[in-house]
Amino acid sequence: MQKEFSSDLKSRRNTRLIFSSLVLLVAIFLILDIFFGSVSIKASDVIKAIFTNADNNFEIIILKFRLPKAITALTVGVALSLSGLQMQTVFRNPMAGPYVLGISSGASLGVAFVILGFSSNITTVSLNGLGNWILVAASWIGAGAVMLLIMVISSKVKDIMTILILGIMLSSGISAIVTIMQYFSNETLLKAYVIWTMGSLGNLTASQLNVLLISVLAGVIMSLFSSKMLNALLLGENYASSIGLNVRIARAVIFTCTSILAGSVTAFCGPIGFIGIAVPHIVRILFKTSDHKILIPGTILMGGAVMLISDIISQLPGSESVLPVNAVTSLIGIPVVIWVILRNRKYSGPF
Amino acid sequence: MKMNPNEILSLDSLKIGYVSGKNKNILLPPLTASAKRGELIAVIGRNGIGKSTLLRTLTGLQQPLGGEIFYSGKNIREYSKMELAQKAGYISTEIIKVSNMSVYDLVALGRFPHTNWIGKIEKKDHEVILDALAKTSMTSFRRKFVSELSDGERQKTMIARILAQDTGIMIMDEPTAFLDVAGKYEIFHLLHTLSNNGDKTIVFSTHDLQMAISQSDKIWLILDNKLIEGAPEDLMISGAFDHLFDSSNVMFNSEDGTFSFRSETKGSIYIEGNGNKRHWTEKAINRAGFAVSKEKTLPCIIIPSDNTKSWQLSTQSSIQEFFSIYELISSLSEKV
Repeated sequence: MQKEFSSDLKSRRNTRLIFSSLVLLVAIFLILDIFFGSVSIKASDVIKAIFTNADNNFEIIILKFRLPKAITALTVGVALSLSGLQMQTVFRNPMAGPYVLGISSGASLGVAFVILGFSSNITTVSLNGLGNWILVAASWIGAGAVMLLIMVISSKVKDIMTILILGIMLSSGISAIVTIMQYFSNETLLKAYVIWTMGSLGNLTASQLNVLLISVLAGVIMSLFSSKMLNALLLGENYASSIGLNVRIARAVIFTCTSILAGSVTAFCGPIGFIGIAVPHIVRILFKTSDHKILIPGTILMGGAVMLISDIISQLPGSESVLPVNAVTSLIGIPVVIWVILRNRKYSGPF
Repeated sequence: MKMNPNEILSLDSLKIGYVSGKNKNILLPPLTASAKRGELIAVIGRNGIGKSTLLRTLTGLQQPLGGEIFYSGKNIREYSKMELAQKAGYISTEIIKVSNMSVYDLVALGRFPHTNWIGKIEKKDHEVILDALAKTSMTSFRRKFVSELSDGERQKTMIARILAQDTGIMIMDEPTAFLDVAGKYEIFHLLHTLSNNGDKTIVFSTHDLQMAISQSDKIWLILDNKLIEGAPEDLMISGAFDHLFDSSNVMFNSEDGTFSFRSETKGSIYIEGNGNKRHWTEKAINRAGFAVSKEKTLPCIIIPSDNTKSWQLSTQSSIQEFFSIYELISSLSEKV
């Protein structure tokens, strides 16, 4: 018995150790992300740029470009990973994530409606202030609509792989609609939309970054409130309901939260794949738990870290070229996803 | 309605079933039954009659389509979800498949209706959880993952979970369904202990009639046209179980509460001898399709005693010796 309890204590100490290492990792990656870029700047100059008013080119690059980009990367990683974690639990599906189930596509349809559809004289410049909020709201609605559709489907179809395939169909269908919209829109709007779809962490204006930060912060706070519900939902609807959870309200809260998180990111950075699906699995393996009181903060930290390192890799430190960040996240995420699929064949459980 | 203070659950003309569109599909005639504190109640009925629907309705997962359910004299409709979750806990036949969930965490989820907004496990909750684990003898398993448990261990964990939920009533849908014989005995024993020593009222459905009759305090027998409740022995005496199986091949013996296959007798055999060996020889003879004769006639089997190690089969034409029941029965079957 004595030994048993000491092992309890040990695992709690382990959890604390992993958390502290993750915090450290995020801090290191954040700093590295500011230090590396296509223009090589000496470390001393970076520090000078941040802490003094040198007012030179370096300072502009660091403060106006690299710092906002690093913050964007952190925010995007947190948001996508959290929404992936919530979706995996609510759908009880290890393959759920904003990208694979077509949630990001739904968000991009919302964005396409705003950029291509409604306003005929909109430009990326006029997309400021209120415009940003309209863009982000359209994105939330698009994401939310697809979430609801997937929910209806998964109440009828229990097979994980079938839902996955339907998600891919849904994404393709939405892309088709967007293509038709592109076909009928004029050149200027088309260009604005195409630039948006390329997705980037570095193209956000200050006011866009503000909107993103506020939205994601709201999502993070909501997700902290949802940890108890998520834990109950792990048992499935019936058991969750029998221990006192109002499943309908829980779903509404979690869906809103997920749509805000995935939608906001997609609105400003374009679709970024495989972070949302992969990070929660890495966190589960790392902490060896299913408790969302640990998984949520763990996912926040790990999501930030993975997105920052993806951004650092995409800078190709030491060279002047830059890779699309989407390619890097896919290369990091896809092996995790494949591993989960293979492992799942053995255990046949949802996680 | 007059309430017995010990009556923790009562059903009054309860109608159960499903709503599909505008149609109410009511499964059974109105059900009336009750349960007292500390009773172990077995719900028995043939497959598909609506046992699961009844248990789901009692747990509040399905709406009653008429009639009332009272928990401690208060109508189920007046309970909020959280209040109901502190009254009745539920185990379904659904197997929980979550990897990375420890036994402790699963049991801790039972504290859901008692914890704060984030679900923090306080010292008191921790003690309740450890107590639930101890009562189900799952303490040493608590760091194991649920996905690594055997069927029996998983079921005990689920029971620990409702113990942690700290409800007066535990509702279980076929808790022994997936278990081997030893596992079944263990769960039945646990349920019996929890109800009779632990003051829990347990309503569970089962197909294991023999075990239910020997262990439960009360049986709710669901037949096509009514629900009959009573002590198992009362139902045995009144012959209520005879209606349960309309199959002509299965026979329920109201004397000892066992089943047997009805088969045409190929003849009768007299058995000489007593004790354990006689008992099993009789069983074997029955299985082979012979009745046991009460009068001393031929053919006759003399079972082994201290002096002889063999079964002697005497017929009009011969006396044969066999060294196992298997040989004896093979020979009998060939002869006919």
